[in-house]
Amino acid sequence: MNVTRFLIACSSLLLGLGLIGPTLTIFPKAGDLTWFIKIIAPEELEVSTYSILGVIQKLFQTNDIFLAMILAMFSVFSPVLKLSFYWHASGLKDSNKFNSTLQIIHYVGKFSMAEVFALALIIVTIKSFPGGSTANLEWGAYLFTFSVICSMFVSFRLDSRKG
Amino acid sequence: MTDISDFDAPKPPAWFGAVIPLILVLLASGFYWFITTDKENGESVDTLNRKIKLSGRLSPGQTYYVFASEVEVYPTNLKNESWDQGKKGPDIRYRLFWKGNAVFESITKDDSLIADWSGLSIELNWKDLLGKSVSSDDAIKAGRIRFEKGEKIEIAVEDVDVASDDDVGRHEIEMDELSVGKNEFKLKKTETSAIRRITLRVLPVGSNIEDLANIMK
Repeated sequence: MNVTRFLIACSSLLLGLGLIGPTLTIFPKAGDLTWFIKIIAPEELEVSTYSILGVIQKLFQTNDIFLAMILAMFSVFSPVLKLSFYWHASGLKDSNKFNSTLQIIHYVGKFSMAEVFALALIIVTIKSFPGGSTANLEWGAYLFTFSVICSMFVSFRLDSRKG
Repeated sequence: MTDISDFDAPKPPAWFGAVIPLILVLLASGFYWFITTDKENGESVDTLNRKIKLSGRLSPGQTYYVFASEVEVYPTNLKNESWDQGKKGPDIRYRLFWKGNAVFESITKDDSLIADWSGLSIELNWKDLLGKSVSSDDAIKAGRIRFEKGEKIEIAVEDVDVASDDDVGRHEIEMDELSVGKNEFKLKKTETSAIRRITLRVLPVGSNIEDLANIMK
């Protein structure tokens, strides 16, 4: 197996774990009323952890179909599709086919960082909640990021072949 | 006899390799799911066990908070005279009976033909600021009953006076008739009751704050 395909395989494994592993932990607070909520409904202040697939599932369950589809498209289908094209391109010997595949990869790749943007948005939103609620990134998010970094190296290697 | 060598064997289509990243993603996800699934199943069973019905009829064996959010009385008392000799409206208080025992007594609402109570209140004193803890029983102003089929609860309404308290009336309610949330009873005036309307709220004990707030609305 060549280095490019090894990087694609690493990126795929990291992506798989990043999608299902814990990504975001939310620590809810209710400001000055935190003590009161702890007495009357302590389960409301329970720390909750979500994975990317867990968030998508929850969005489906709460009938937020549009958001669920957007998140699924940008964080699941688009990165998998991009890696599939990388694998395909890495085995091509015909330079015309290789160049056209690379063009498609660049087009698909535009969508696959949206998940990182969505995570950042969630964290900023939660941190701006009244009551001091906080959100922390978990190891799933880091694996996802490493998957993206691996795929960037793949992209550089394929681009250098183009030249 | 045919002789097929590796060189002659049919080759998979070019796109076939593109499926490998998808397989690797599924393998990694599946592996993580496999090693954590037992733990998560345990948690989900626990969640199901703790699931509480937030609407519809009451569930046998479940404990509920019960309180009257509103009691309306007729403009005249049992003797068909004005309340408090026409000077003021009645000072209304109610008590809730279950299995022959008073399980809750409300605070008195002065000069009201329509008295209302919130199921949730905290009375804080200066000493509370010195670290006194408040229990949920102190915070929720309601009686606690356990639903069993065929049982009844009784609500007794009184006009609180300095000299002696006057009966406004009593109303017996079959627990089978109750639903989670708002229950309204419209009553006719009789010789023994001047209660016009009772709005009773039933909340499952153990529900979360959002559900409690919605049911209390």
